[in-house]
Amino acid sequence: MNKPMILVVEDDTPVRNLITMTLKAHDYKYISAQNGNNAIMEASSHNPDIVLLDLGLPDVDGVEVIERIRTWSDMPIIVISARSEDKDKIEALDAGADDYLTKPFSVDELLARLRVTQRRLASTRSESAGSVFLNGELSIDYAAGCAYISGEELHLTPIEYKILCLLSANVGKVLTHTFITQKIWGVAWENNVASLRVFMATLRKKIESAPNSPQYIQTHVGVGYRMIKVE
Amino acid sequence: MKRTDKKEHILVCLSSAPSNSKIIETAAKMAAAFGGEFTALYVQTPACERMLDEDKERLEVNVRYAEELGATVATVSGDNVALQIAEFSRLSSITKVVMGRSVVHKKGFLKKPMLTEQLIELAPDLDIYIIPDTSVKPKRQRERLFSKTSVLTVLKGLLISVLMLAVASLISLGFCYMGFTDANVITVYILAILGISILSESRLCWVLSSVAGVLLFNFLFIAPQFSFSSYKDGYIVTLIVMLTASFVTGSVALRIKNHARQSAKASYRTKLLLDTNQMLAKAKDAREIFDIAVNQTQKLLSCDVTLCEDEKKLSELSSAGRNISDEAGKLYYPLYTNDTLYGAVAVTADKKIDAFENSILLSILGECALALENERNAREKEASAILAEQEKLRANLLRAISHDLRTPLTSISGNADNLLANDEIFDPEVRRQIYRDIRDDSEWLTRLVENLLSVSRMGEGKSEIETTAELVSDVVDEAVARTERNAEGHKIRVEQSDAILLAKMNARLIVQVLINLIDNALKYTPDGSEIVIEYYGGEDKIFISVTDNGKGVPDEMKPRIFDMFYTGAGNIADSRRSLGLGLALCKSIVNAHGGEIYVTDNLPSGARFTFTLPREEVNICE
Repeated sequence: MNKPMILVVEDDTPVRNLITMTLKAHDYKYISAQNGNNAIMEASSHNPDIVLLDLGLPDVDGVEVIERIRTWSDMPIIVISARSEDKDKIEALDAGADDYLTKPFSVDELLARLRVTQRRLASTRSESAGSVFLNGELSIDYAAGCAYISGEELHLTPIEYKILCLLSANVGKVLTHTFITQKIWGVAWENNVASLRVFMATLRKKIESAPNSPQYIQTHVGVGYRMIKVE
Repeated sequence: MKRTDKKEHILVCLSSAPSNSKIIETAAKMAAAFGGEFTALYVQTPACERMLDEDKERLEVNVRYAEELGATVATVSGDNVALQIAEFSRLSSITKVVMGRSVVHKKGFLKKPMLTEQLIELAPDLDIYIIPDTSVKPKRQRERLFSKTSVLTVLKGLLISVLMLAVASLISLGFCYMGFTDANVITVYILAILGISILSESRLCWVLSSVAGVLLFNFLFIAPQFSFSSYKDGYIVTLIVMLTASFVTGSVALRIKNHARQSAKASYRTKLLLDTNQMLAKAKDAREIFDIAVNQTQKLLSCDVTLCEDEKKLSELSSAGRNISDEAGKLYYPLYTNDTLYGAVAVTADKKIDAFENSILLSILGECALALENERNAREKEASAILAEQEKLRANLLRAISHDLRTPLTSISGNADNLLANDEIFDPEVRRQIYRDIRDDSEWLTRLVENLLSVSRMGEGKSEIETTAELVSDVVDEAVARTERNAEGHKIRVEQSDAILLAKMNARLIVQVLINLIDNALKYTPDGSEIVIEYYGGEDKIFISVTDNGKGVPDEMKPRIFDMFYTGAGNIADSRRSLGLGLALCKSIVNAHGGEIYVTDNLPSGARFTFTLPREEVNICE
């Protein structure tokens, strides 16, 4: 598989060096930018495959960079934030970011996130618009409105099926609670978020073989959920 | 001079006289000149009941005028004006009294001593300033006697008088027939007049029936019978004595009646104020105090009373400094103490509020305002106490942190220096050790920062953390995922629960609690120990526990283990990083969620840390 091109946006030199050194050691191609305006320029001129974006930039707010890039491109954006408040991540995710990393992060974590995103890129490129979604043992037949695990049909409630479809359509992307409840119920009430948690728990029981180390659906406490693209 | 160090307190006596405003003015000027306190006193006497409407109005104008000039208005009631003034002066440490004095002298030998003379006798220490009052019309006293009674009460009184006199005459005729002496007859008549003055409201009846009684006696019983003349000269004396006796008994009875009425009013006032006080003592917050003010005013005036929340009206009130009324006839009474306005009540009165009600109303509202002031003071004090406590905690925290930051930082920077300077002389084994140390130290710093962030998230107030209904299993899984990397020699196991358990919590903070508990278990148990995380639902609580099979917690440590900066062996010294923050933080986080945390022994060995969270039931939206 071709190693993707990565745009690293980070104003702090040691951290930028750490990231680029890691990327170099693992044979990724990369370009780097030190501020928001540069980042937008590099993104438009080089069209990278993945963007690693620090939220605290000296000139433009990271969220604004995401919004500007989203006006023309769907390229995956992984946000790096030193702000550990959940609402910053949620804001970035709702603006269109795909994933997030919180400082301090380990090199392993960074590489894992990149691999997840790469897999997602590969899958969206290969099976662009089929009526059947395939992910490991999980398959969803959108036309028939059925989901299967290891070829066995799953008995899902209408809401569970809706959630599963929503997650599969955005595989690899962290979806915030607000986003999901908006899509499922049309409104994001507090009670809906609690309901969502319960539905997630029951859905997971039906599709995961070991619910406390989930294979398909990841929980991001305080943020949201994500469906992982399984190899 | 001895008196200069004592603060002057000027008292002005209020009356309904038109010239009273002049007296008030003079007193106000005096108070300003002396720089002393200024009080206006109104003594309510039984006679005030019979005051003409125009007099009442004038009195109110005078009261308001005194308030405008900055006086504190007080009302006392009693028969003896001089005594009341003297008593009030003594209790309020009044130094100077300003009062008016009529220049028109009452004539006659029954003349009472002047008010000023009585006052001088009763309170010889008091400085009395007399302002001549030329306009008092002495005949007003007589006008009052008859004017205030309505036709109906007069008719009723007359009916009673006629009946009583008829009964008395009948009894007396009976006595006469039985041959009793005249003295018995006179007694019966006087008894009848006593009855009349108790039963009838009108003073006119009492006077008339006194005269009528004497005439009747003369007409019916004194020879020649059925004529107003008499044969014996002595009878004229009898008649005069009888008339006098009738007058005196009647007036005494009336006075007793008035007294009873006044003391009933006084006790009503006392009761109302006492009730208000008791309610205020029980009131928990400002809202309740306002409710009491409104309810008690309503009870007193029996009309529509609301709390005034109109900002414009309130600012108007605070600039006026007294009650105001608007175009619609609504009256606004302020709740204020020492220039601070706390609010106001709006009264929609359908009748006039008289001086008596007004004085009670002002006392009630004064009490409420005082309660509001106390409440505010208590709140401020509490807030500052909390602030001080937080300040102390913060200072302790900073001290502990700066100490605990230095150790790993020294190790990291030292190790990096070593690698930079003499990289080549270390053999690979040593270098790997150095790398590992650097990583461990920075990870330790990361944990510290996470805990500090949780402290800052806990924020100022205790109950201000944001909570949502979270799945307990999600939170446990997250905490385990984040500690698993450090658990090289340990085994971490989660006891699954089949039920879907939701608890109201701030997920970040509870994850932090679990991480701290698991980290502690990792730190204080030997390699190979097993750490088990369990959770189960109680009726309205959820129990989450972290259990290890290490050495356990010694009993003497258990009570102090959740204290801030307590680090086991009791040495906060340089030993090793053990910021005694972890468990204390856990405790304050769990407490802020309304739960509790405790440590018990695990059998056969080890410790079990358990905490509770409020359970949440969720209505599923399909």
